[in-house]
Amino acid sequence: MTVEDWLAALAAELHRRRIDPAEVVAEAAAHLRDSGRPPMEVFGPPTAYAVTVVDSIRGTAPPRDRGAPRLQASNISKRYGRTTVLTGVNLSVHAGEAVAVIGGNGSGKSTFLRICAGLDSPDEGQVRLRGTIGYCPQDGGTAGFLTPDEHFVLVGAGRGIRRTASIAQGRTAAAALDWPRGHAAKPARHLSGGTRQKLNLVLAGLGDPDVLLLDEPYQGFDNGSYLDFWQQVWQWRDAGKAIVVVTHRLAELDRADTVLDLSPRNQR
Amino acid sequence: MNRILVVAEMALREIVRRRGVLLLLVLLPLLFYYSRRDEAYWQSVRMVTLGIGFTLSTAALFAGMGARTMDPRLRLSGYSASQLYLGRLVALWAVGCTVCVPFFLLIRLDIDHVRYEAVVLLMALTVAVSAPLGLAVSALLPRELEGMLVLLSVVCLQILLNPDKTVAHVLPFWFSREIGTYAIEHDAGTGYVTRGCLHAAITFAVLLILVGGLSSIRLRRRAHLSTA
Amino acid sequence: MLDLCVLGALAHGESYGYEIGQRLEKSGLGPIAGGTLYPALLRLERLGLVLSDWRAGTSGPARKYYRLSNEGTATLRQASADWAVFVSNVTAIMEVP
Repeated sequence: MTVEDWLAALAAELHRRRIDPAEVVAEAAAHLRDSGRPPMEVFGPPTAYAVTVVDSIRGTAPPRDRGAPRLQASNISKRYGRTTVLTGVNLSVHAGEAVAVIGGNGSGKSTFLRICAGLDSPDEGQVRLRGTIGYCPQDGGTAGFLTPDEHFVLVGAGRGIRRTASIAQGRTAAAALDWPRGHAAKPARHLSGGTRQKLNLVLAGLGDPDVLLLDEPYQGFDNGSYLDFWQQVWQWRDAGKAIVVVTHRLAELDRADTVLDLSPRNQR
Repeated sequence: MNRILVVAEMALREIVRRRGVLLLLVLLPLLFYYSRRDEAYWQSVRMVTLGIGFTLSTAALFAGMGARTMDPRLRLSGYSASQLYLGRLVALWAVGCTVCVPFFLLIRLDIDHVRYEAVVLLMALTVAVSAPLGLAVSALLPRELEGMLVLLSVVCLQILLNPDKTVAHVLPFWFSREIGTYAIEHDAGTGYVTRGCLHAAITFAVLLILVGGLSSIRLRRRAHLSTA
Repeated sequence: MLDLCVLGALAHGESYGYEIGQRLEKSGLGPIAGGTLYPALLRLERLGLVLSDWRAGTSGPARKYYRLSNEGTATLRQASADWAVFVSNVTAIMEVP
């Protein structure tokens, strides 16, 4: 492992733990230059060093009093005909918490999210919500003949936001997701799948809802936008939102605080 | 009120951008009109309103179908079910009224000896009924194709069925025959208008209840969900 | 323990990471791995015992310089006094008569 590789790996590990890597990496690079010793000897493996650095910077945070959960789903069961998709699923999400919901195709991830949003009824179980919801469906959720700005106005008006404020808020959020320039005036049906999905995600966050329910919201995103998406999720989390993300990318699970696995064997 | 207007504005923008529907909205009534212009000019008044009724209800069908994926999100954003369908109705009525203007002028210039005020009434009632008709069909049927076929059948039956038959009375545009007759035949009494208005009012009420009911059920507050 | 030694090394004046390591090594503590030294500095910084700023060095790119804060100086003085007491106690007990 060359010095450059090691530094790049450290930067990536810090980044995914939401620590700005610039200073730590520059300092390590300076040390390596001064000492002339190999990084593995001086600092050890990048991941382990990143963990130590993060702990030093954050300290061991005292457990916060998180209050009542924003979203509490108790004992949710759902059948379609003879097929049981959900059996006794429980989930609590507090303010400032991000939960990943995983499971194979047909394991009921989307159904579970729709039940949490109140768009589907379960056969059994209760959902208790504290606050407003922003919901990002897997597909659809945008009107093909309306432009992104018009979407912002429409959804914003529902939340009681004025026209210009909605547009400003929507555009800012879209820019954070690496939105292609000059797409504000195109009807949604002329946008690429990935861009339309970004619009979908921005609409979910419009008007500052307390609970965000996101159903595989990054379909069609390129890799950069995918990272931007998680940055957005963490910003929401730091702002005290409760977030549920349905995902199938198992490699990314450590980005969430909690994981709910809906694969049949994991349901009780 | 503001929410209804925003929904109406956006629905209007959507309809205006559907070029095909817009073209149909103008061409089809015109074709209907000229199909009877030569041998039975008095019928062309009724035909043109039927044409408007068909195309406007088709536009409503498309608007209703297009709203399906958007509505749950809007409901969660703070809209009530009634704000959503009322906003769309307002937009469709506005489109309908606009489309009627050139056709009224056409009749006014092209046909003499017609009670023009009755033509206005006929057009107004047609527009009023067509919008909820299309939305009701969109709420009851799964896809646009099925909806189109139903609307087409309604209009065909309306033209083909003997209006004196009881079964013809349940057709949504039956009133157009009554008021149309009054508009064209000078010896026709006001009884035609009364019957026509009554039928239109009942049809309108039934369709509105249907649209409101179906939309409220679909977007209802689910029992398992409680908010604090 | 290492944290206090780092504070001690900074009592001789502000410095950057590599040099702090050198100072500690020269004072007989043996080589301190970067993997231990920098987390200790970050920890002390979080607790407000040391302050830092980035400055361009005489040669090469910018370095992060650390110095004791007032609180850090106080902590070091207290720890040093405690240590002296501890050492004299231990020395007294271990003295061979």
